[in-house]
Amino acid sequence: MNVENTQSQMRKGVLEYCILSIIRKKEAYPGDIIDKMKGAGLQLLEGTLYPLLNRLKNAGVLSYRWVESTSGPPRKYFQLTPKGEEFYLLLQSTWNELASGVEALTRDQHETNDTGEIVDDA
Amino acid sequence: MKKVININFQGQVIAIEEDAYEILKQYIESLQDYFSHEEGGDEIVNDIESRIAELFGNRLKHGISCITDEDVEAIIESIGRPRDFDVDYEETRTAEPDASFNDHKARAGSTGSQAHSAEEPRRLYRNSGDQTIGGVCSGIAHYLKIDPVWVRIIFVLLFGLLFWVYIILWIVLKSRHLESNVTKRFYRNPGDRVLGGVCGGLAAYFKIDSWIPRVLFLLPLILNLIGMVSIFPLSRIFDHFDFNWNINGSMAVVYLVLWIIIPEAKTVKQKLEMMGEEEYIRSIREKVNDNAPGTKNRTNSNQPLHDTPPAPPAGTSYSAKTSSNAFSRAPEQSGCLNGLVVLLKIIFFTLVGIFALVLLSVFVGFLFTGTQLWPLKSLFIDSGYETHLLIISSCLLILVPVVSITAWIIRRLMKAKSRPVIGIIAAVLWIGGLATTGLLATRIVNKYNVESSSETTVNVAPVTATKMYVEMLPYHDDYSEFKVIYSRRSPFDNLPYCTINEDSLLYSNINLQVRNSTDSLFHVRAIAASRGRNLRSAKDDIMQFSYPILQNDSVLFLPEFLTVPIEQGFRNQSITVEISVPAGKSVEISDALSDYKNSEPPAVVRKRIRNFSRTYMPGDSNLTPKPQITLTTDTI
Repeated sequence: MNVENTQSQMRKGVLEYCILSIIRKKEAYPGDIIDKMKGAGLQLLEGTLYPLLNRLKNAGVLSYRWVESTSGPPRKYFQLTPKGEEFYLLLQSTWNELASGVEALTRDQHETNDTGEIVDDA
Repeated sequence: MKKVININFQGQVIAIEEDAYEILKQYIESLQDYFSHEEGGDEIVNDIESRIAELFGNRLKHGISCITDEDVEAIIESIGRPRDFDVDYEETRTAEPDASFNDHKARAGSTGSQAHSAEEPRRLYRNSGDQTIGGVCSGIAHYLKIDPVWVRIIFVLLFGLLFWVYIILWIVLKSRHLESNVTKRFYRNPGDRVLGGVCGGLAAYFKIDSWIPRVLFLLPLILNLIGMVSIFPLSRIFDHFDFNWNINGSMAVVYLVLWIIIPEAKTVKQKLEMMGEEEYIRSIREKVNDNAPGTKNRTNSNQPLHDTPPAPPAGTSYSAKTSSNAFSRAPEQSGCLNGLVVLLKIIFFTLVGIFALVLLSVFVGFLFTGTQLWPLKSLFIDSGYETHLLIISSCLLILVPVVSITAWIIRRLMKAKSRPVIGIIAAVLWIGGLATTGLLATRIVNKYNVESSSETTVNVAPVTATKMYVEMLPYHDDYSEFKVIYSRRSPFDNLPYCTINEDSLLYSNINLQVRNSTDSLFHVRAIAASRGRNLRSAKDDIMQFSYPILQNDSVLFLPEFLTVPIEQGFRNQSITVEISVPAGKSVEISDALSDYKNSEPPAVVRKRIRNFSRTYMPGDSNLTPKPQITLTTDTI
């Protein structure tokens, strides 16, 4: 069991949710998504993002339109389809459950840890 | 000092150092390889290329003159190398370590986290992933789930027949990057080659030693050489065989064709398909031990460039991975041979282009002669059914391709989506046109099935004079010419004229034969001949001939034309007038008839005329009165 593998699995799980939420706020092209993810402190490689977008698009979750760009070839701007909206809401509810559940579970850990440290210091 | 080249990358002109370009090229190849198993993989690669182009554009805007290898490395670092992508393949790789290389389909299905359909409907596409010309053959092969090489061989063998079919499919079918769906395929083997790797590929395919196909290819040449050395005692054995240069030449052509139509095994996956898994791994072991010298690592990255997703079985994965680097680079080292291949391909495509141009001009030529021949239609084609057939087939054959090609060009120009349905309909209509044309052609050809003749003896009053004069009776009225559009010396020389009120056809297909009479009298016979669907129809046609021969004392008048009802059309109708001249008398033929004298009657008539003389020597009617001026020496 190596830790990197588990970390990458954890990241992978929320990746789609993050991407969809960025696109849901405002239609976006992959460059935007990368920047926003980086801005939020989440590392994401283009090589990971593109196939993911492609797959979401093929599944009918995303649609895109071409937008001419001044700095290069035309860009694909992605937006959520109605199906994608549904998909997103499902992910959202799952995430909320997960987040609160994980939070509830891990908070105890943190507290015991914290108190433990405090005790040690004292 | 570094060489800077300009490349057209995603529609942008980018100045880039040559080293950087090589790195970029290999990186993109590795991406293509990696994503080739993904649905829409080429689209992903294309998107990434666009992104790279954009990043290049940004860099160039900031005032640097060209893209260096540091730039490329930085961009690659930000986009990630295939091994860094953590979208999915990892989990399936670890989950199914024993998965063999050929079940990408199942893999794609299991990895697809979303609800995309695992099995897409089977459709005919052009395969952009494996193409010699347009990817049509490999698309068909993909549809039929067979090796593209077989389809290509069939296409090459039936080139003349299938050329237009190919063009139509090229136009009609949508292009797509298709995943190979056969587990064993013909490839040229870059690891075992003398010239193009064709023999090596054959050997790998049939699991035999590579010298066997090589010897087979060279066998005619070897035998020929043996045959040339005449001192060699066995050479006589080969005297019976005609091992000439033709065979050597054709073996070379076979080799070249195979070279062109068989793709080279470049990636690990292709090599696996070429020689089968165990065989491949064994060959890799050998390679690794040799540790291919001269493998220059151009990119200073330490992982293989062809990082192929389909992992070989767990136990051997290390050796396969390390050597894929050495193995797949091999072809790049032999730039000379590659140049040769490119040259051959250029020659091949030039030849194909010329051939296509010739076909096109023939097509256009047909179109023109078609309009030229139109007035003659009634001569060959009955009104009613056959005329309808002609109109339908010419519409289908000419209008359909013209309209659909034009439509296709317009759609391409408008960048509208191509609609394959229209193309398929057009193709079906065109093939229907071929069928109706065939039907019409057989009907027309059938009209000339048999040739028939019938003879009538013309009653000639006894001629008292020693000389009979033969004159032409000119046609009394105006007539229109069918011939007017042709040169005089055309193969349509014996086409008829049409009478002014368009009820009859006038044929000048009249032959004049002169022979010895068996008694002391002049005899004249008229032999009519015609072709027809069957003997009866030919005879019926002959019955309707009108060729009245008149006599006025010692002058015989032959009409200028043979007249037949216009409904008969052209059946190669002819009249042969045979004049028998008794001993001691002679015949003088008018100059007006000189065209008729030397012409040859049809075969069926020649059989009827005994002592038929092919060459008739026209004597000078005025000057040299010979006893029998009309006879040649061989007419006895």
